[in-house]
Amino acid sequence: MNDTVTIQTRKLMTNQLLQRKQIVIDVLHPGKATVPKTEIRKKLARYTRPHQMSSVFGFRTHSGGGKTPGFGMTYDFLDHAKKNVPNHRLARHGLYEKKKTSRKQRKERKNRMKKVRGTAKASVGGDKRPKE
Amino acid sequence: MLGSDLPNAVTLLKNLQEQVLAVTAQVQALTKKVQAGAYPTEKGLSFLEVKDQLLLMYLMDLSHLILDKASGGSLKGHAAVLRLVEIRTVLEKLRPLDQKLKYQIDKLVKTAVTGSLSENDPLRFKPHPRNMMSKLSSEDEEDDEAEDGQSEALGKKSVKGVSKKYVPPRLVPVHYDETEAEREKKRLERAKRRALSSSVIRELKEQYSDAPEEIRDARHPHVTRQSQEDQHRINYEESMMVRLSVSKREKGRRKRANAMSSQLHSLTHFSDISALTGGTAHLDEDQNPIKKT
Repeated sequence: MNDTVTIQTRKLMTNQLLQRKQIVIDVLHPGKATVPKTEIRKKLARYTRPHQMSSVFGFRTHSGGGKTPGFGMTYDFLDHAKKNVPNHRLARHGLYEKKKTSRKQRKERKNRMKKVRGTAKASVGGDKRPKE
Repeated sequence: MLGSDLPNAVTLLKNLQEQVLAVTAQVQALTKKVQAGAYPTEKGLSFLEVKDQLLLMYLMDLSHLILDKASGGSLKGHAAVLRLVEIRTVLEKLRPLDQKLKYQIDKLVKTAVTGSLSENDPLRFKPHPRNMMSKLSSEDEEDDEAEDGQSEALGKKSVKGVSKKYVPPRLVPVHYDETEAEREKKRLERAKRRALSSSVIRELKEQYSDAPEEIRDARHPHVTRQSQEDQHRINYEESMMVRLSVSKREKGRRKRANAMSSQLHSLTHFSDISALTGGTAHLDEDQNPIKKT
């Protein structure tokens, strides 16, 4: 069957300050649902070298379907990518793990730290009281 | 040679002799100084050094030519002529550069002569855009200041630089006393203006005017406005590589503009011209009710 998902790129710009190349990607998918980002990355990988990392985001399908423009950025080195890509996008590639402490636990810990002065703040750990 | 020219020639030759003696004396003094090393040029502008050397070579070639001509030789095909022409062209090409460097050289010479520049010297290094601003615009705020103190104060401002804190301009507050009647009048005026540009009135105008009939693909002004804004938003998003959020109001406007762009809409929907006819304002069912402030 014919692979009808096509990618067109526009406005390629080399951003030296953020050490990346940024493009506007137009995904054409007539008769199909919106293409997931992982597939778009795979198609983009055909145009980039294997050691480069690309991250795509911002895909909004036009009403009526068939066309989805979005943005893509390719980094030459992983270190540059880790520095310049926001954490939630790094998490999509598995390069960043969000800490799992819940908001309530963090606030309670902060309030316990308020009761103690100086270096003892660091040793304030989890609450020893049993759950009521 | 004519006999009448002979006394002239004799006087000219005598002048020439005197001048030559003076010039040789000066040149000898200069050469002595240069050989003694009184004019070191290593730390100077290389541009000026190049000009110096070129002028010297020009003089040498010129004197060679004069010598040859004075001893009766012909100048045709003389090698010195070509060299002279070459040096002359280079000097001509250097002249605009000279013009551009004139300011810098004047400044340096002045520093060297006077030692240091005074505070209010106009020949300081950085350009002062504040000095280029029209000083007439600040007349209203400074008419209580003394005339002689004014230029001094402005001069001080320009020298201190841009490190002053930003002070927002103090505008005179105006009392708000718009009555109900005035508000009503303004609303009526706006409604009249809107009614004058409605399709009914425009067609009436076309009927009675003598101007030729224009057939244009004119879209509803709201539609063109919305499409312009959409284009602007798309351009911004693609150049900044971000997605902007769309507020509810914006979504509503977009939906209404899309509905208006259908051609059948203008068949049944007419804008309200009660402001001109004097009747009560009526609205179609799908439009928002008039808000009474």
